[in-house]
Amino acid sequence: MGGRLQRLLWPILGLPSIVWIVLFFLVPLYVVFCVSFGDVDPIFRTPIPIWNPLEWRFDQVAVVWDRLVGPDNFYLPPVLRTLYYVIIAVVACLVISFPVAYFAARYAGRYRALVLALLVAPFWISYMMRMLAWINLLQPDGLVNAVITMGGIVPLDVNWLSGNPFTVVMGLIYGYVPYMMLPLFAALDRINPSLLEAARDMGAGGFDLFRRVVLPMSMPGVIAGTLLVALPMMGDYFTTDMLSKSPSTSMVGNLINLSIATPGQSGQAGALLILLLLVLLLPMVWYTRSTAKAEVRS
Amino acid sequence: MTNRPRRPVSRRQVLQASALALPGAWALSSCAREQPIGAPSSSASAGDASSSAGASASPSATGIPIASPQNPVKWPINPGNEPIASDLEPEPNATLRLYNYPDYVWNRVLKNFQKEYADYNVTIELSTFNDLPEALTKIRSGSVPYDVGFLTYNYLGKLVYGDLIRPLNHSYIPNIVDAWDSFQNPWYDQEWQYTVPYTVYTTGIGWRSDLIPEDIGARPDPYNVFWDTKYAGELAVLDDDREVIGMTILRNGGTDVNSADPATLGAARDAMLEMLSLSQPRVTITGYTDIPEGTLSLSQCWSGDMITGQYYMPEGVDPSVLRYWSPPEGNGLIGNDFLCILKGGENPVLAHHFLNYMLTNDVALENFGWVGYQPPMKSLSPDTMVADGWVPENLASAVVRQEWFDVGYPLLELPPAVEAEYQAIWQQFKAGA
Repeated sequence: MGGRLQRLLWPILGLPSIVWIVLFFLVPLYVVFCVSFGDVDPIFRTPIPIWNPLEWRFDQVAVVWDRLVGPDNFYLPPVLRTLYYVIIAVVACLVISFPVAYFAARYAGRYRALVLALLVAPFWISYMMRMLAWINLLQPDGLVNAVITMGGIVPLDVNWLSGNPFTVVMGLIYGYVPYMMLPLFAALDRINPSLLEAARDMGAGGFDLFRRVVLPMSMPGVIAGTLLVALPMMGDYFTTDMLSKSPSTSMVGNLINLSIATPGQSGQAGALLILLLLVLLLPMVWYTRSTAKAEVRS
Repeated sequence: MTNRPRRPVSRRQVLQASALALPGAWALSSCAREQPIGAPSSSASAGDASSSAGASASPSATGIPIASPQNPVKWPINPGNEPIASDLEPEPNATLRLYNYPDYVWNRVLKNFQKEYADYNVTIELSTFNDLPEALTKIRSGSVPYDVGFLTYNYLGKLVYGDLIRPLNHSYIPNIVDAWDSFQNPWYDQEWQYTVPYTVYTTGIGWRSDLIPEDIGARPDPYNVFWDTKYAGELAVLDDDREVIGMTILRNGGTDVNSADPATLGAARDAMLEMLSLSQPRVTITGYTDIPEGTLSLSQCWSGDMITGQYYMPEGVDPSVLRYWSPPEGNGLIGNDFLCILKGGENPVLAHHFLNYMLTNDVALENFGWVGYQPPMKSLSPDTMVADGWVPENLASAVVRQEWFDVGYPLLELPPAVEAEYQAIWQQFKAGA
């Protein structure tokens, strides 16, 4: 009896999450498929999902596919732009977060809790509020320009909010950097200090120590942080909507958002979403495999 | 219990998954070969894309007539949806639910209605939508029993055919006589069976003269300012496909802002993409705050945006720096919104009283003082609006004249296939391609 209960314990404990995933991920995902491969109401231009996969139509997916790889592939620039922005922002997040996380894990001592609290402090304020704050700071007569021009002495005329890609990438970095810091901190904190001492004893200097010991041992944190930051950035539309509002900085998320808001194009929004999902699945699978391998090794 | 190492994904599993994905990829690519760019997104939308320019007078593929000034439409009254009887008392203890754009009606006006109908213990509940597709979806869902909608004529056909709107009993709305005559029998709703007018507006260009000293209206073609590299990064167009494409058609020398002609639309698309590369415009509908605050120096906007913009000026900046231009003879983009009673509402009698209340001279003027959008009321003479203090001198060009509706270009409902063409142009523009 006890053995049977023990065997059932973990499945029972896992049941709520399974139900959660089925109800709030798998079912909605299926609905997205049914809308993407569905029809459109001829009068109201609203989606008519087709629930039977055998009856799915591929018109809407085909339109999206053609706009991505066809001769008039105007979806391609935002896709490439998104990749470009995300790569820069992820690298910047990594460069910013690594020293901070290393300091917090190794040298913060009794201030460690405080440093950690400060790391997550931006989470206390909503993303929208933070972006609105940046809009105020980046106005033509805002604080940032006042500082750069030293109160107007230096004749610089920078309009940060006029569809400036730099501003959008900066917004992405600012918005997502805490997601990079926390897994990095967790990974760096797990490194046994005696390993670092041993490396020093073996003659590894500052950079060598970092390259040969710290970086390889923190790779799970780097990968987790990169995924945590990159995946939501790929679908982000809000940052560019707030800080740019210009088509010249449109990202994939903006295309999806526009399609959802356009009558008759919910199916195309769904198709874009599916394509994005397929692209994002690759790094997810890679991450799952690499963590599984690491677990096997350990 | 020991920790069992997790089994990594085997090569065989990856191959199996890939094999499963292959049919999907094949389907994608084969469909891509079959479907041309810009094609209708469904068979249902296959309509008269190839119809001649001037879709305005043609029926849509859906069978719903498309109203236009040249093709006025009297909508049918669906069986079972007859107007309410006359001389009914307003519903007591009612919650009158209004559905409107944000910031498009003054709260004080609503509170005064509650006071006026205090004997019936009326409460007003205002919900807002961001755009008409969103509004239509929610109205159709029936999730909230909205009584009154603040909507636009290019959705009227859908509302009637969807049986979502209630025909009016004119006996409750005597104040209609105070509205401009043309709105007592509008082309989009002959014999005003379903609607009463709310506001009128033109679409033009707004700017701050201290940031852009040039008199934009004095240019030979003011629309060209959006293609001027001099103002790159400082300007914006409306976040509305029809308004931007319509303006571009006018800028290209056309007049049919509802054109279905592929050449006209192709030229508009090319010009819009050229605009992107020359002036990098932003896309927004918040010009009424962005221009006063200086976030934007110049923007395509509606006339009411600039009139209300004077109340959003930062401290120390004189509202007299605001400017607005639209074609001075009225031959530009022009439109109006209306009030209607939604069928799903629970208080049709009270809703009729509300429509009549909003057409009361004093109420319409009071509301205009806050929203900035002009009501088409006879008492509000365009000739004296500046002198009477309703509109400042610097924004006299934002006043809309009744006769402009004879020469202006309204944005009409489009057949689905043509609408898909407009959407494709807009997506290409917004993709920054």
